[in-house]
Amino acid sequence: MSQDKAEKNPEIIGFACSYCTFKASEMAGSLRLKYPDGVKLVQVPCSSRVDPAFVIKAIFEGADGVFVAGCHPGDCHFIKGNYFTRRKIAALKEMFDAFSMNDKLRLFWVSAAEARRFVEKVTGMYNEIKERKNVRKEN
Amino acid sequence: MLGKKIKNGSIEDTLNRFLKDDQHLVLGFEKDENGVSLRAFKNHLDHYSFLNPIFSTNGALHLRRLFSKGTKIILMLRPCEIRAYIELIKLNQIEREDIIAVSIDCLGTVSSKEKADDIPVEAGQLKDYFKNSDTMRWACKVCREKRGVVGDAGIRIDKDGLFWAFPYTEKGETFLTLIEGESEENKTEMLMSGSEKTDKFQNDMKTFAKDFTKCIMCMNCRDMCPVCYCIDCVFNGDEYLPKGDALLNKILRSGPVQLPQGKELFHFIRMYHVSQTCVGCGACEEACPQGIPLTKYFKGVSERLQGMYSYMSGKSFDETIPYLTFLEDELKNAED
Ligand code: SF4
Ligand code: SF4
Ligand code: SF4
Repeated sequence: MSQDKAEKNPEIIGFACSYCTFKASEMAGSLRLKYPDGVKLVQVPCSSRVDPAFVIKAIFEGADGVFVAGCHPGDCHFIKGNYFTRRKIAALKEMFDAFSMNDKLRLFWVSAAEARRFVEKVTGMYNEIKERKNVRKEN
Repeated sequence: MLGKKIKNGSIEDTLNRFLKDDQHLVLGFEKDENGVSLRAFKNHLDHYSFLNPIFSTNGALHLRRLFSKGTKIILMLRPCEIRAYIELIKLNQIEREDIIAVSIDCLGTVSSKEKADDIPVEAGQLKDYFKNSDTMRWACKVCREKRGVVGDAGIRIDKDGLFWAFPYTEKGETFLTLIEGESEENKTEMLMSGSEKTDKFQNDMKTFAKDFTKCIMCMNCRDMCPVCYCIDCVFNGDEYLPKGDALLNKILRSGPVQLPQGKELFHFIRMYHVSQTCVGCGACEEACPQGIPLTKYFKGVSERLQGMYSYMSGKSFDETIPYLTFLEDELKNAED
């Protein structure tokens, strides 16, 4: 990969719940739906397993963006894990906002059946970050 | 509010009576020729002081993982120390059963790094001292709760310099029965009023980098934080920080870095981890050998994050720490 390409193509780390969002990503694969290479998934047993420390580590060790994704509220395999996730990630977003870094973190809900939604969400995030990165480079 | 006026010297008598039992302890302040310091008293009090205008550590630090097993303890501490104690109870770090926590009106403190020979410990004089000196710690200037209104009971100072004890819980009532005299309606104004709101914390990474240039990653700030209690901190050992091969890989991939590496990582993770329980005491800053303005960041971030859930750390025994609970219908705007 040329230096230029590496710089312009963002890397996004996604923490995906193995019961829904990760399943959706697998289904996207079997449906041959494409999403950017730069999106790297980490499978977690539940979105609430994501200690915000993981997100912070990913960002400060070079990721351009991080998302945390889980089952829709009410559908958690562990009944209420994702409600805790929402509280924690909302607070982390507020903290990022305090340092003007709120463009780096997202939270979304994608069920196992929503392969298309998964692709839309991650591609959307990827493109936005890529655009911002390239604008910044030109300036 | 109904409370008891504390006559001159009578609090020493009260605590001494309590200390007659061998299994009873008092944690409070002692004055000697070297200034004022925190002390665990047993059997009797020597040179007891209500106020401690010199801040070195937050007393709640010493209560972590305290399961008193029948030893009865009275805490006579500053509001930020009692608030940290209350947060530690919620985190199952302390057994509340045998402890009576009394918060005492605080007029502010100077850093223990300050030369403070001439600093008075008497309330009225201390107030005047701070009027003519700007040595008060920043944490105290912007303290959210200087009043003795947290814990089981509070000691408040009125405008005439008289001390009053007020009960807030059943244990507080017990504490008041130890003090001689009858409860009466308090009508005088208090010396300390509530705190003003400070501006919302806002920063950028440039300023952060500038402020933390001198950080040597000694982690004293973590060790002296009363509410940073994890036994297995992710920063124990060298797993979490990039070094060796991991550091090399990072430099090769993303270019030159400043060393020591991982300052952002360490401080951001700590900031998040204490965000709901930080009491803004500034013990972290006091512990920093490099004079880094840590309170600005830790208190600033935690106030924003506690504000989201209308929570104030250590204000009440009964409010649950926000990350340990949820509402089903909330925070829709956090979802993308
Ligand atoms: S932070 Fe508040 S309570 Fe603590 S020492 Fe300073 S003024 Fe007193
Ligand atoms: S982070 Fe600093 S200000 Fe907050 S509780 Fe810990 S020592 Fe006190
Ligand atoms: S105490 Fe100061 S120098 Fe040490 S890690 Fe904390 S901020 Fe850095």
